[in-house]
Amino acid sequence: MSGERGQSALRLGRHDFGPERLLVMAIVNRTPDSFFRPGDTWDERAAIGRVHEAIAGGADIIDVGGVPAAPGPDVDPAEEIRRTAGFIAAVRDAYPDAVISVDTWRHEVAREACAAGADLINDSWGGWDHDLAAVAAEFGAGLVCSHAGGLRPRTRPFRASYADVVADVLAHTGKLAARAVEVGVDPARIVLDPAHDFGKNTWHSIEITRRLAELTATGWPVLVSVSNKDFIGETLNLPLPDRVAGTLATTAVCAWLGARIFRAHHVLQTRQTLDMVSAIRGDAPPARAVRALA
Amino acid sequence: MIVAAALCPAAPLLVRALTGTDPAVPELRAACLAAAAELGAAAPDVIAVVGTADRSASWNAEWTLDPAVFAPGSRGARAADAAGRTPSADLPAALGVGAWLLDQAGCRGDRILRSVAHGEPAASCASTGAALATAGERVALLVMADGSARRTLKAPGYFDERSAGFDASVQDAIRSGRLDMLLSVDAGLACELMATGRPAWQVLAGALRGRKVTSEVRYCDDPFGVAYLVASLRAADTEQKGDRGARAG
Repeated sequence: MSGERGQSALRLGRHDFGPERLLVMAIVNRTPDSFFRPGDTWDERAAIGRVHEAIAGGADIIDVGGVPAAPGPDVDPAEEIRRTAGFIAAVRDAYPDAVISVDTWRHEVAREACAAGADLINDSWGGWDHDLAAVAAEFGAGLVCSHAGGLRPRTRPFRASYADVVADVLAHTGKLAARAVEVGVDPARIVLDPAHDFGKNTWHSIEITRRLAELTATGWPVLVSVSNKDFIGETLNLPLPDRVAGTLATTAVCAWLGARIFRAHHVLQTRQTLDMVSAIRGDAPPARAVRALA
Repeated sequence: MIVAAALCPAAPLLVRALTGTDPAVPELRAACLAAAAELGAAAPDVIAVVGTADRSASWNAEWTLDPAVFAPGSRGARAADAAGRTPSADLPAALGVGAWLLDQAGCRGDRILRSVAHGEPAASCASTGAALATAGERVALLVMADGSARRTLKAPGYFDERSAGFDASVQDAIRSGRLDMLLSVDAGLACELMATGRPAWQVLAGALRGRKVTSEVRYCDDPFGVAYLVASLRAADTEQKGDRGARAG
C-alpha cells in the first residue's frame, strides 16, 4: 500500500505536502449545537484555546465551521459569516503559517472566510452551491469536493440506496473536481471526500471505507471525516462519548488505503494513530528504537 | 375482487439482514409478517404489492429486493433468502421490501408489483386500485406506505408539528375502515412531511371503494420519527374460498 504513489501533489496555504504526509484537520466548531460536545467552542476564547491545543497536539489544518450538519435552527449566511470570518482572522494572526479551512457549503461565507485568511473551503454537501468553486479560484484557495448523495444541506438521508455507492462517489466527486479545475481552482489544491454518513446509511459508510482505495487510486488527495460519526456508533452500538476507538480504527484503515487528510475531534489520538500507520508503511521511522538494539 | 388487504411500512429496516446483529424492530417486523401471512391465508389467485416510487409502473413479478442497495458488502444481506426470485437493484425499494415480506411469510403464489409515483394524483391512484381489484377473482393487496417522516427532532426529516395531526387522520381512516377519507389526504402536505405513503394509501382506497371494511391495527408507533402503521383490512362481503363451489353443490 505504501507503494501507492500515483498520488498528486497537495498544496494547502503556502505548504506542499507529499503523499507520505498524513494530515490532521482539527475540528473547531463555532456553533452552539454541533453533534459532538455541543457548544464547547461557541465562546471565542474557548475556541482559540482549542486551536492552541490542536496545534500543540499535532494538527496540520484548523477547520472552522459555523453551522452544524444536522437539521436545526436556521443559520443564515450573515450569521454564519459572523461566527466564522472574524475567528479565522484571529487564528491567522496567531498562526501565520497554519493551514486554515472553512467548513461551509455557501459561497458568500467562503468568500468572507477566504478574505479573512482561510486556505481551503471544506464543503461537505457535495457542491450544492454551484458558485463555491469560483470563490476558491478567486482566492487561490483549495476546495474539498464531496459526495452527499444529492442531499440538500442540513438534511438527513432517508432510505438512501445505491446500485453501487462507491461508483456514485467516484462519479460525483470526479465531476466536481473537473468542474473546479475548469473554473480555475489550482488542481494541486483540490481534495476529494467521500463524506461518511452524508446521504449514506451505516452499510454505505462501511463500504466506502472498505473500498477507499478506489477513491485514492484517482490520484486526487482524499480527505476522510469519520470522527465520532453515527456509522461508528451504529457499528459498535455505542453512544457519542464512546466512539474514540472506532474512530481511530477507521482512521487507520483509511490511512492504509491512501487517505491523506483526517478531520478529527481527538487531535492527539489521531496524530498518534497516523504516525503509527506512517511507520508501518515505512514512510516515517519510529520516534526512538532501542529495543533489542543495545 | 379484493379478498384481503394489508398495510405495512415500506421501511428497509424491516428486512432482517439490513439491521445487523440487532433485530432492531422485532415487534414491527412480526406485525408485518403476520399481516402478510394473513394475505396468503386468504387463498388469493394473486397478491398485488403496491408502493410509492419515482414513477408509476408495473414491475417484473419475479423480482425481489436487492439488499445490496442498502447494505453493500453485507454477507448476511447477500445470503438473504430470495426464495427463488431475482434480486434487482432497479426494483423500487417499497416493492422490494413488500416482496421480501411475502417471501418471509411463505406467500409463494403469483404476484403483481405495482408502483405509483410520488406525485400521482388521488383520482389516478384510486383507478390504479380499482384496476388491481379486478386483476383476478381473488386478489390480495399489500400496501407499503408510511406516514410522516418528520415526527421528532431525530426523525429523518427533522420535526414538523403538523405531523401528529396528519398521521392521526390517516390512522383514523384505517382504524375506522372509512378508506374514502384517504382520497382527500393533502398531497402537498404529505410531500412536505415526507409521508411517502400518500399515493399508496389512495390505491388502497380505490381498490376497496364501496366495500364495508373493518381493520385490525397490529402496530402503530414511530420509533425513529417515521409513522409506521401495520394493519390487516377485511371486507365484510368477502367470499370465503369455496363458498361459490358450496352453493353450486
